[in-house]
Amino acid sequence: MVISRKWLTILATTALVSGLGGCTKNKDSETKADGSKPKIFNYLRTAAHKSLDPAKQFDAASAQIVSNVYDTLLQYDYLARPYKLVPGLVEKMPEKQKDGLTYIFTLRKGVVFHDDECFKDKKGRELTSDDAIYTIKRFADANVNVKSYMLIAGFVEGLDAFREQTKKLGIKKTDYTKLDVTGLRKIDNYSFSVKFNRENPLAFFPFAFSGMSIVPKEAVEKYGDDFAKNPVGTGPFYIKEYSRRGKMILAKNTKYFGTYPSEGSAEDKAAGLLADSGKKIPFLDEVHLPLIEEPQPAMLKFLKGEIHWIGMNKDDFSRMAEKDKAGKFILNAEYAKKFNMYTEPGLYAGFLRFNLNNQLVGKNKALRQAFAYALNTGKWIELMRNGRGKALKTIVPHPIAGSENDIDFEYYTQNIEMAKKKLAEAGYPGGKGLPVITIDYRSSNKDTRQDFEFVRNELAAVGIKVKANFQTFSAFLKRVESGNFQIIDAAWGADFPDGENFYQLLYGPNKIPGPNSSNFANKKYDELYEKSRFMENGQERFKLFKEMSEIVKEEVPLILRYNYLGFGLMQKNVRNLKRNMMVEDPYKYLNLGPEGKVSH
Amino acid sequence: MLTYIIRRLLHMIPILFGVACLVFLLFTAVGEDPVRVTLGEHATPEAVELLRAKWGLDQSLPKQFLDFLGQIVTFDYGRSYNTDDRIVDMFNQGALVSLSITGPPFVIGTILNLIIAVTIAYYRGSKFDRYSTVVFVAAMSVSYLVYIIGFQYLLAFKADLFEINGYAHGLESIPFLLLPWLITIVVTAGPDIRMFRTVFLDETKSDYVRTAHAKGTSEPKILLVHIMKNAMIPILTYTVNAIPFLLLGSFVMERFFSIPGLGDMMITALNNGDFPVIKAMTMMIALAFSVFNLLTDILYAWVDPRIKLS
Repeated sequence: MVISRKWLTILATTALVSGLGGCTKNKDSETKADGSKPKIFNYLRTAAHKSLDPAKQFDAASAQIVSNVYDTLLQYDYLARPYKLVPGLVEKMPEKQKDGLTYIFTLRKGVVFHDDECFKDKKGRELTSDDAIYTIKRFADANVNVKSYMLIAGFVEGLDAFREQTKKLGIKKTDYTKLDVTGLRKIDNYSFSVKFNRENPLAFFPFAFSGMSIVPKEAVEKYGDDFAKNPVGTGPFYIKEYSRRGKMILAKNTKYFGTYPSEGSAEDKAAGLLADSGKKIPFLDEVHLPLIEEPQPAMLKFLKGEIHWIGMNKDDFSRMAEKDKAGKFILNAEYAKKFNMYTEPGLYAGFLRFNLNNQLVGKNKALRQAFAYALNTGKWIELMRNGRGKALKTIVPHPIAGSENDIDFEYYTQNIEMAKKKLAEAGYPGGKGLPVITIDYRSSNKDTRQDFEFVRNELAAVGIKVKANFQTFSAFLKRVESGNFQIIDAAWGADFPDGENFYQLLYGPNKIPGPNSSNFANKKYDELYEKSRFMENGQERFKLFKEMSEIVKEEVPLILRYNYLGFGLMQKNVRNLKRNMMVEDPYKYLNLGPEGKVSH
Repeated sequence: MLTYIIRRLLHMIPILFGVACLVFLLFTAVGEDPVRVTLGEHATPEAVELLRAKWGLDQSLPKQFLDFLGQIVTFDYGRSYNTDDRIVDMFNQGALVSLSITGPPFVIGTILNLIIAVTIAYYRGSKFDRYSTVVFVAAMSVSYLVYIIGFQYLLAFKADLFEINGYAHGLESIPFLLLPWLITIVVTAGPDIRMFRTVFLDETKSDYVRTAHAKGTSEPKILLVHIMKNAMIPILTYTVNAIPFLLLGSFVMERFFSIPGLGDMMITALNNGDFPVIKAMTMMIALAFSVFNLLTDILYAWVDPRIKLS
C-alpha cells in the first residue's frame, strides 16, 4: 500500500511537470489577430548589455539591442561589399555645399518615435532636425559619453570646444540650447547642416555608429538615469520585454519607414538575398533574445531547433565543417541536410608588434626581418585556427577598400634560409649571443598558450629563443602603456571600414599611449599617411597604401598574421541572412520561410 | 540567551570590518583596473580621466575606504560600474532567482539524503551498505560540470525530458528549473549521505544505544527516535552552514542554464572589475555567514537541552 502511494505520487508529479513543460513549449505557437502565425526569430545574446543609452554604450551586447531599437542618420549597405554608407534617417546622402566643408542633412519625413509615456498622449511624435542636433550635442557631452567620443573628435567645427564646456559645467544637466556648436545649424524641421573642420570622407562614419542613434529629448529627461533601461527610438523594433540577464523580446515597429535593399551582386541574387527587394521591413514580428553565455547549451538549443542562428566556435567547426576539394568551406553531410552555413571575413587584423623603442628588437631591423621570415602564418592558421582565417599581406583586412584585393602586393612567406641569413646579418649567427626575447600576451588561456608554443617552435628552428609573459588584460595594458615590452601579441578590429583606421596604427604621432603601440616613427610613412588620410578611395589613394605597405614590410614594426573568417549556422528556413560585420544584428532584414523545425 | 545573542552580534563588527579591509585592499591593490577593463585598449587619456572621476576613483584611498564603510552601514552600495543599475535592486532580483534554483533541491535533497542515510545505517555492514558506499564515493569523484554537461546533453537534448536551458518568471520557471534541481540533488547526494551515515554510525556506538538495546527497544525505534535526535547537532551544523550558499546560487549552474541569479552576477562582476558589485556581494556573504553561524548555535540549544548559551 505504501509502495503504491509512493508510485502514485511520482506519477502525479511527472504529469504535473510534463504539463508545465508543455505549456512553455507551446507558448510560441500563438496566432496573430488575422489568424496567421507570428514570425518569431529565436536568437540569443552571449553577454548581458551594459547600457541601452546609445551615447553611453560601447560594447557589442548593448549595440545588439540599440541598433535594432534606434536608427542612425547614415547606415551601412546591408548587401554591398566593400562596405559603404547609405542613407539611414536621412532621405539622401548629405549634400556638399560650395565651401567644400559644410553638408546638408535632410531627414526623411514621417518618421516617428515609438509610442511612449514620455510623449504627449503617449503617442510617438515625428522626428525633427532638433532631435538630430540634440543627439549630436549629447554624444559630445563629456558628462554623458566618456567612451566613444574619439570617433568624431576633431571632425566637426566647434564640437570639441562644446565638449570642453560641458566638462567645465560638470555632471549637472547641461542645457544644450544655451551652448552653441558653430558647425551645427538647424535649417528647418527636416534639415540641418554640419560643417567639418576639413574635407574629410571619414567624418561620415560616426553618423552610422550606434552610439549616435537619434534619441528624443523628452525620453532622456523623463527617465534620467534609467533612460538606459527605457529606450525610445525610431528603430524597426521596440522592446516588448526587458531583461538584462534573462530573455529580451523585441517586437515589430509597424510604423517603420525602411525597405529591404533592392541592389545586390549576382551572388546575392543567386543566394536568394534579393527575393524581398524593395519590400517594407521588418518581416519578423518578434525577436527573442535569451542570454546564453555558455556555448555548449547554445549549440544544443540550435541543434534541437530552438534557435535559428548561431556562430560556430573552433570546436563546433572541427566537428561539423570541412574544406571541399576546391578549398571551399562546407558543412559535412550529416549537418548539411539540416542547416545552412555562412562564411564571412572579419574586419580584423592580427599581428605581432615589436616595440621599436626597445634596445634589442627596436634597433635591429635585420633581427625583425629574421622573425618575419621564420614564421609560417599559413601553417599557423591551418593548425591553430582550423584554417578559419586568411593570411594578411597588408594591414588592411580583406573586405575593406584598399586591402590586398585592390593593390598588388606580396608579403613575407616562411623562408628558413633567409631567416638564418637575416639573423646572421643582425649580429647573431645561428642565434649565438641573442638574449631570450619576451612576447607579452593579454591572457593565459589554452588557445593563447598553444599559439605561443607554435611561435616558439618556429623561431627556435632558426635559433631565436623566446619566452612568454601571460597576464591579465589590465596588466597587459599597463605593460604596453609603460613601453616596457619587446613583442606583444596584438590585433585591431575596425572602428569603421576604411583603410585609414588600420594605417593609423603605425602613424608616428599615434605612438603610445595612442594606437601605435610599436612606437614606429618613419618620416616617409607619416607623410604618405597624412596624404592618404582624407582622400576618397580610388587608385590614387591605393597607390599610397601600397607605398606604406612596402615600408611596413621593409621596417617590420609588426609581423602581419591573419584576418579571421567568421562562421555561422542557420536553420534552413532563415532568409536574407548575409553576415555583415558592420550590421552585426540585422534582424530588420531577416525573414523566415515555411520549412524547418523552428518555423512560425 | 539574549545577552549571548547581543554579544555575538557585537562580535560581528570586527569580523565585518576585517572583511571590508581585505576586500578593499585586494581589489584596489591587486584587482583588475575597472576603468581600463571597461574602456579597453588604446583608451584616450581623456576617457580614462573622465571615467575615474565618474566612479570616484580619483579620490584618495582613505576617502574611498570611508565611503565604502558608509555603504556597508547604510546597505546602499550605489550603482554597478558595469550596468549602472542600483545594486540593491540587482541583489533583490537575483537573490530570489538564486533561491529558486537552490532552495527546493536543498530541502528535497536533505530529506531524501537523510532517509537514504538512515536506511544505509540500518543495514550497516551489509552488501547494500558496501555497494552504496562505492556508488556514492564514485559519484562524489565526478566533477559538478560533468553532471551539468552530461545531463544537459543526455536528458534535455537527446531524451527531450527537460528544457536545455532558460528561465521564466513565477510558475513558468519550473520546467526550466527541473533539470538544475535534479542535478543538484544528484551532486549533493554523495557527500551528504556519506556524512549523515557516518554521524548515525558514530551514534550507534554510544552508551544510550546499548542501553536501549538492553531494554529491548526495537532497532527502527532506536534509529529514528534516539539516534536521530542526537545526530541532529552535527547535521544541523552542516546543513545550516550551507544556507548562505543557497542565497548565492551556483554560478556554474546559473551560467549553463541561463538563470539570472546572484552566482552568475558575481562572476560577471569579477570578469568586468565591477568593484561595487563585488564589494556588496562579499559583504553580504560575510554577513550571511555570521548570522547563520549564530543561528546554528541557537539551534544547538534548541535541539540539545544540555547546551546552555551564556
